[in-house]
Amino acid sequence: MTNGKIFFDETRRILFAAAIALLVALVIILIASKAPLETFETFIAGPLSSKRTVGNWIDDSAKLALAGLAFSLVFQARQFALGVQGQVYAGGTVAAAIALSPLGLSWVSIPVAAIAAMMAGAFLGFIPGYAKAKLNANEIVSSLMLNYIAYDIANLFLRLYLASPKSGLTASEAFPASAVYPAFIARTRIDLGVVLALGAVAIVWFLLYRTAWGLRLRLTGHNARFAAYSGIRSNFIMVSAMTASGAIGGLLGALFVQGQGFAKIVVGFEGGLSFEGILIAIVARNRPLAIPFVALGYGYLRQGAALMGYRTDVPAEVIGIVQGIVILLVASSFTLPGRALLNRIMGGSSAARAPST
Amino acid sequence: MNEIFDTILSAAFVAAVIRTTTPVLFASLGGLLSDLVGSLNVALEGMMLIGALTAVVVSAYAPWYVGVLAGLAVGGMLGGLMALFHLRFKADVILVGFAVNIIAAGGTVTALNYATGGDKGTSINLPSKAVPSLDLSFLDAIPGIGPVLTQMFSGHSYLTWLAVFLVFAIWYFLYRTPEGLRFRAVGEYPAAAEAAGISPNRLRTYGLVASGALAGLGGAQLAMFNFVGFTRDMTAGRGFIALGAVLLGRRHPVGTAIAAVLFGAFEALSIALPGILPRVPGEVIHTIPFVVTVLALMLSSKRRVTA
Repeated sequence: MTNGKIFFDETRRILFAAAIALLVALVIILIASKAPLETFETFIAGPLSSKRTVGNWIDDSAKLALAGLAFSLVFQARQFALGVQGQVYAGGTVAAAIALSPLGLSWVSIPVAAIAAMMAGAFLGFIPGYAKAKLNANEIVSSLMLNYIAYDIANLFLRLYLASPKSGLTASEAFPASAVYPAFIARTRIDLGVVLALGAVAIVWFLLYRTAWGLRLRLTGHNARFAAYSGIRSNFIMVSAMTASGAIGGLLGALFVQGQGFAKIVVGFEGGLSFEGILIAIVARNRPLAIPFVALGYGYLRQGAALMGYRTDVPAEVIGIVQGIVILLVASSFTLPGRALLNRIMGGSSAARAPST
Repeated sequence: MNEIFDTILSAAFVAAVIRTTTPVLFASLGGLLSDLVGSLNVALEGMMLIGALTAVVVSAYAPWYVGVLAGLAVGGMLGGLMALFHLRFKADVILVGFAVNIIAAGGTVTALNYATGGDKGTSINLPSKAVPSLDLSFLDAIPGIGPVLTQMFSGHSYLTWLAVFLVFAIWYFLYRTPEGLRFRAVGEYPAAAEAAGISPNRLRTYGLVASGALAGLGGAQLAMFNFVGFTRDMTAGRGFIALGAVLLGRRHPVGTAIAAVLFGAFEALSIALPGILPRVPGEVIHTIPFVVTVLALMLSSKRRVTA
């Protein structure tokens, strides 16, 4: 198969999955809403309703792209570390501490906070990687536990050191203007974060496809035993992939708190976005250059769902169902909704009948 | 410090541990059954959550045991769904599991909103029922230790005793029946099992359905006894802790149960500590079960490597 044909097939599969998921969402809206048509219209057309909502869509997409990038890096190495959420809280807290320090009064705080946030995230990414390589501890469970721990510690830090009493200890003062990512379009959330996200995509693409490290990582992911036979230290590759992924997660934390969306740190600022990176990574088949497009597409649906949550009687959480269905369909290997699927169903049912007769 | 020991050694603390352990124990027994046949079930969290909501909503309109059965059934159905996508459509079981978790997190809020007519946070305005507790106060009659035994073991949910029974039932099934041997064989070396005429996929389907049903029971216990009513994200990582208990328990039902009790004990401790040590920040105390799970996982896995 040529690259073009693969691309075409993949796109068709993804559109099919999205169509099924949207159909399910429509059914849920029909059941749950008192004015289903208007609700569905808000869901589908809401993101384009104003300059501000378009800005929110773009900004969300940049964050989703970073989250997807972080997941895709570990998925490429066939590791299921799921610690992006914890890395976001760690990175965001560190970035906020720098933005609120005297350093925040100078533009220097933006790069310094970004680097510090990446280091904090990288550290959190390193722990499950090291524990797996040296201690054989399952990375799924340890990274998930670290998410809960990081969330609690971030809240503690916020309450004790960063919070403003006026907010009832749930948010800090607004950061000084010099520590906030400048907006490219006034009164929208389209800010420096979009550039950082695209830059991260380009860097990860370069690392994966143009360096020896990237080749080793992809080989390890394809076939760990073959990689080991050819002399690749797969443990080192695994730990470094998880650490680099953690750095991206940390950067995402800085994007959250220093972006135009908040420009301060708030309890639970991440709002569950990190885990949606799983969807981005899977639909993009872990390929960095596909991630921004998938993020834009999914970001649109997410923004639509958020607006539906504000403006109608159906909660924004419906998007979780859409997300899960898309993951299920894209991760499974049936090819097309046509002859092949029909054959499979027919073949499957006759095979299931066979033992009982 | 003495106060902490006094608390831990009290009969009331034992009762609290039994209470916090029960939901995790159900889920981890389920996780054990699917892990044994080679599909690590990361969806325990989501299955518990959906099981909890289903049990609460159904119990508002039916007797309590129908609610519990509904939680069990919906969990089993989710396990069947996982088996369908994992085994028939060849999707990675971890991705399928996460899809279930994501659907659970969003779907329960959506369904709760619908069932309560607009409440996205709790089911407080639904007249849901509780699992009755088993009164064992006749233990008082035992001279000497009777009152202590009563305090420890009386007043627990019917489901707690079911969970204890299940530990032994699953042990018996795995180690004393032919089907249990097949279960273990598939997990140990699927190719050999297949050569011996055992269908790994059939047993994997059973394992996933059973794990879903048990996680659903855990959810029912959580929302109909530990707490009465559903709140969003109320499982709060218990499904993942249960997964940790499976890994820690060396793929053995008794080992898994011991690990679940260990995690239950630390959860109970994190509930009791704020009263004893008011100066330790609540956030730190709240991390205790998670920190213990990570540490236990690291330490136990290391021993396995070196052995």
